[in-house]
Amino acid sequence: MISARTVTLAIAVLGLLVLQYTVRPILDWRAGIDFLVIALLVLAVRVRPGAAAAAGFAIGLIADALTPEAFGAGALAMTLVGFAASRLKAGFFAENIWLNAVFVFVGKVAFDVVYALAEQRLGGMELLGQLFVWTPLAALATAVVGLIVMAMVRPSFERRHR
Amino acid sequence: MDTAIAAGCVLIALALLVLPDGARAGIAGVIRGSIVSPLAAVQQRAGLARRAFMEHDSLVRVADSIVQRSQRLDEFAAENARLRSLLGLGRALRWGFVPAEALVGRGMGDEHTLVLSAGRSAGVERLSAVVAADGLVGVVQDVDERTSVAITWPHPEFRVSVTSADGAAFGIVAAYRGPADDEGYLLELRGVPFRAQIRSGTPIVSSGLGGIFPRGILVGTVLEQLGETSGWTRTYLVRPAVRPSDVTSVMILSPERNAEGVESVWAPAIEALNRRVIGAGDSLARRARDSTAAAMRKHLIDSLAAVVPPARVATPPEDPR
Repeated sequence: MISARTVTLAIAVLGLLVLQYTVRPILDWRAGIDFLVIALLVLAVRVRPGAAAAAGFAIGLIADALTPEAFGAGALAMTLVGFAASRLKAGFFAENIWLNAVFVFVGKVAFDVVYALAEQRLGGMELLGQLFVWTPLAALATAVVGLIVMAMVRPSFERRHR
Repeated sequence: MDTAIAAGCVLIALALLVLPDGARAGIAGVIRGSIVSPLAAVQQRAGLARRAFMEHDSLVRVADSIVQRSQRLDEFAAENARLRSLLGLGRALRWGFVPAEALVGRGMGDEHTLVLSAGRSAGVERLSAVVAADGLVGVVQDVDERTSVAITWPHPEFRVSVTSADGAAFGIVAAYRGPADDEGYLLELRGVPFRAQIRSGTPIVSSGLGGIFPRGILVGTVLEQLGETSGWTRTYLVRPAVRPSDVTSVMILSPERNAEGVESVWAPAIEALNRRVIGAGDSLARRARDSTAAAMRKHLIDSLAAVVPPARVATPPEDPR
């Protein structure tokens, strides 16, 4: 039987997936909010590392399907971020909500670094500009939104745990 | 176990990265066409929504300017028609005229004057006739070096000696001073001899008497008879050929051209007006003839009805077969 916790998690992940393909194209920021990374992190801290890696792979594959020139890079990055997030959740996903923001920030930076290196499209100054300017800005925006999402999702999970 | 799953996923992802472009595109296409299809559609819609939002202001500006341009098209078309007719007038006059732009006076007391963009330096003289393509506009009253001022026909002091187009009746035309609604819009033809009756629609042209206006400038068309003065003369209401408020470009005729006459210039327009009068007269005559015949028929039936009993008149005779 599917638990209410799983349903809540699924709704949150699906909602973030939809936001990625509705709000992000509308905003069209260079340092855009990455709702997929938030969805993966929300999921990763609640499942085993293997499942988080598989979920990351699936989410990455979905993202790659819409950017075929870097097909596989998103799947690789998401797999690694999901696995690592699930492994490190005890350290990061504590009671302190600000640590969650740092968690999302680091997750997004890690994703961008792996993605940029795996994709091999950018090089030289362009790669440096992406990793040292745009990636931190995008990670910041993602962390702010991630903070809001986690603040919304957390109470329902805490109620279940009690 | 978790590490094995993660390693498997990483290996597949790496494999996907090193696949040939064709194979990668094929797999991406399969995913796009299946589970990602709704998301792709949503993304496309979102992109369109963003573009619509971003372009809204510029589109509104474009639409506004198109509407503004289309509104001005009518204005340009009218201006074009005016200029064409003026060109036609210039061709018909051939010589002895000065073209000028006209600015209608808008202030109190100068609503019946035109400021013309040609003056003494262009050869304009006082009391020169001012005409437009449709007919008489007015007469030059003051001349400066580069501009001149003309009074138009609604001016209280404006007079022109006229004749009907067929030359049968003469009179003097001035602005009509009637009910306030019509004042400034119509002309009055006074002093027409009682024996000369003018039909509605008859064109009225300048007679050439008085030496200011040459013979043959179209002044207007007769609308109706207004009254009789002591049984000796008739007065007619005349619709002017030109509305001064619509005038933007005019021709100022030189005294030499006055002497030569301009009868041929408005002859086609006068001919067309005459044809309309004749056509209207014919149709009136036909209608009168028809009504006379109908009256006679009715009279005959009434007479028969008085002589013969009604039943026998009304019932046709029965067929013997």
